[in-house]
Amino acid sequence: MGLWDVEQVLGLAPDAASAKAGQGLARVEKWTEAGASDRAVWGLCQGSGKQPYQTAVDLSGPAYKCSCPSRKFPCKHALGLLLLNAAGEVRPADEVDWVKTWMDQRAARADQPERKPGEVADPIAAQQRASRRADRVSSGMAELKGWLDDQVRVGLGGFDQRAYTELSRLAARMVDAQAPGVAGAVRRAAGVVGRGHGWPGELLEELSLVHLIVSAHDRLADLPPSLADTVLSRIGWSTETARVLAEGEKVRDDWLVLGRVIEPDDRLTVRRVWLRGATTGRLGLILTFAAAGRPLDPLPARPGEYVPGTLSFYPGALPMRALLTQTDPRQPAPRPAGLTARQALASYVESLAADPWNERWPLVLQDVRPAAHGEGWALVDADGDGLELLPGWDAWKLLAVSAGDPITVAGEWNRAGLRPMTCWRDDRPVIL
Amino acid sequence: MKGWDGLVSSALLGTDRRPAHFEELPEHIQERLGDGGLLDAAALATVYKRAGRKPLRELEPIPAAPGEDRPLPRPVATRRLAAMLGGFQTSALGEWLRAADARGWGVPPEHLPALADYARHRAEYRPLVIAAAGRRARWLADLNPEWRYLHAAVAESNDPEYWTHGNAVQRRTWLRTLRQQDPHAAREALAEVWPTESAATRADFLGLLTDGLSLQDEDFLESALDDRSREVRRSAARLLARIPGSKYGERMTERLHSHLVPSQGVLAVDLPKRLSQSMERDGIDSQNPEGIGKRAWWFLQIVANTPLSAMELAWLQTPVEGCAPDILQAGWTEAAIREGSAEWARALLQSEASTGDRSPAELLRLLPADEWARAVDVLRKTVDVTELVGGLPVPWPESLASMILDQLAKVGSNRAWARLASIAARAVPPDVLDHPITRESTGEEDTWRRRLVETLTFRREMYEELS
Repeated sequence: MGLWDVEQVLGLAPDAASAKAGQGLARVEKWTEAGASDRAVWGLCQGSGKQPYQTAVDLSGPAYKCSCPSRKFPCKHALGLLLLNAAGEVRPADEVDWVKTWMDQRAARADQPERKPGEVADPIAAQQRASRRADRVSSGMAELKGWLDDQVRVGLGGFDQRAYTELSRLAARMVDAQAPGVAGAVRRAAGVVGRGHGWPGELLEELSLVHLIVSAHDRLADLPPSLADTVLSRIGWSTETARVLAEGEKVRDDWLVLGRVIEPDDRLTVRRVWLRGATTGRLGLILTFAAAGRPLDPLPARPGEYVPGTLSFYPGALPMRALLTQTDPRQPAPRPAGLTARQALASYVESLAADPWNERWPLVLQDVRPAAHGEGWALVDADGDGLELLPGWDAWKLLAVSAGDPITVAGEWNRAGLRPMTCWRDDRPVIL
Repeated sequence: MKGWDGLVSSALLGTDRRPAHFEELPEHIQERLGDGGLLDAAALATVYKRAGRKPLRELEPIPAAPGEDRPLPRPVATRRLAAMLGGFQTSALGEWLRAADARGWGVPPEHLPALADYARHRAEYRPLVIAAAGRRARWLADLNPEWRYLHAAVAESNDPEYWTHGNAVQRRTWLRTLRQQDPHAAREALAEVWPTESAATRADFLGLLTDGLSLQDEDFLESALDDRSREVRRSAARLLARIPGSKYGERMTERLHSHLVPSQGVLAVDLPKRLSQSMERDGIDSQNPEGIGKRAWWFLQIVANTPLSAMELAWLQTPVEGCAPDILQAGWTEAAIREGSAEWARALLQSEASTGDRSPAELLRLLPADEWARAVDVLRKTVDVTELVGGLPVPWPESLASMILDQLAKVGSNRAWARLASIAARAVPPDVLDHPITRESTGEEDTWRRRLVETLTFRREMYEELS
């Protein structure tokens, strides 16, 4: 990453206080011996102690190093330094020793895993690992198949008593079997039990789709390769980033950021950024993870903007998840064209035809107006067709923007309803 | 879907007891099922159902809010608004809204929910939020009961429906609006429903007559002096005391003359010995507060409610007999505040009179704003300057603001000045925000000086962005 602009730097701050303190330190007189190379920026900042703090930032990460005792990450010194650098007030210089040492260490560490795409350090050991895992997964799948068949034979009726513990135990077994994707599906099934009147039907839906994975795994070799990839990723095999970058399908376009959904969890924050190509119309999903409480990487662009670049798609029958290589700075975009409710549902059905396990799908609805629907809300298009909003989603911003007039809404669709991410009134995008 | 319930009940009871039948399932599923079992059929049916989902029908879109939207200020200005709603320099929010409104800017609608929530428990922000919400005020209030106060905007339409059938907020707004336009009609409307309203409502609505108060209201207010509710009686007395030429004023003047006689260069005071029924009816409080005797307290209230026109400024310099001069001075202070008399306020401040329970700042604010700086400069020798300026309406006149900032620039970071600095940070008018103090170094420490400069700078940028 080259020169960071001020907004991107502020996006790195762990909280508002740090951002503010960082801005206070973004002044030339606060720093001595500051300098910047093409990969790092550094300087000394006098704090309350006797010794000034040594602060350095690796611009490629960014990664931070600072001798201050702050537990904030990045600390205000690193932010101040980056802001100063963003303002063009740090002069180019040769790296001083302590910076050079640190940067070289980092480079050495980074070099190790960064082999040529597809190349493996010890091919034989890697193959052994892979085949051990395949064996484990296969035996896990067999166990799951047996369990599912048993349940159907004796009936799910008495299930609500023992179901939760049993499904949780099974989910843990699937983690042991190195099939975390299936483990997640089983856990979702466990979550349905006893919830509402229709839970037996819901449970059967969830279990039947788990069964579908298991039986697809049985005939993996017979499946078309892209579908086999989908099955493997649903089971929980991950594809290495390097392989995606090297072998994945590449699409170059101006990618409109349709919006993002952030799901905080106890341990892991997940962010889904949905993209749509301006020329190709292709859809893409960028997944980002961060440990709970840690900031996520800055967005490549704000929702409603274009980010020019190349997407490298993960393999699968429904190529959606991708890695983004940005080629040019982000730029403003007009309001996107959208679909009617009926067309939107049809696009989701197409995705199901390719990947029957697909849960989420980005939709752009055009000329929709809010309507009350039960306890919640729905969006109605010009034909009078409507889609419900995700129950419990706070719709007030969207309602206020619309004021009853037709707007364009980009959202993430799942069976429970649409979770709006961005809406447009005229050409102005509003992040929801 | 046909056949799905059969699958569910087989799964519930177990295929041992109830073997699954697939004949009822749609043909497409049966074709693909082959020799598959219950779970295969269920998987096909699940995807079939999900793919067959239809859009909702017969939904009634919410009718659009009628009216036009104002243009939006520059993005940098709305980002500042978002930052304030996010907790950064939030106390400048009202100022932002006022400045934007004055310049004809609207507020990006996505911020309205946060603003509406913010103003829900802060009544002083409500008119600002109502103005900012524009055509959306009523629309949102109809959708969200928690924002019902936004209805205040609506009642301006003068529809008597709001008075006869509205909720408490709507009725109050209707009456207040009418009072501003036609004081006579508002009083008549109130008089009509008067006997059937609750005591709390009577007292509340009576207070609305403060606007446009005149001698025409006298008969109604006189009758309210005999109200069942003590709160209403009090309120009526307070209002009568503010009507020049009222019978109430005459009664008070008469009482004053029977207890105070200027003769031979002294004011001879004879404190009342008892509280008559008519005095009580006129709102004289029988119960003396701590630190003052009963009779002195009654006399003080008589002075406080006597029209200033019945008294003479020269009395301020006249020796007093029969009671402490403080009592009279406190009474005059009350009377000056009640009548808003700059003349009396100036005289009381110049003679360093006792102001009783009142702060000298309350007299200070009665002076024309361009006299404040000079008056503060004189008074600060005896009264804490923070107390003086703390009660003044903001923004301050430029002369006062510059004087205070000049002063603060000279005192380093001594903690004793922190409160004055925090008042000044909000009270300095837009034209003085560029004061030299904002360009002096504040040091690394988090001092009042740094916070002052930050706030002044923040506000200056805010006005620049909205221009």
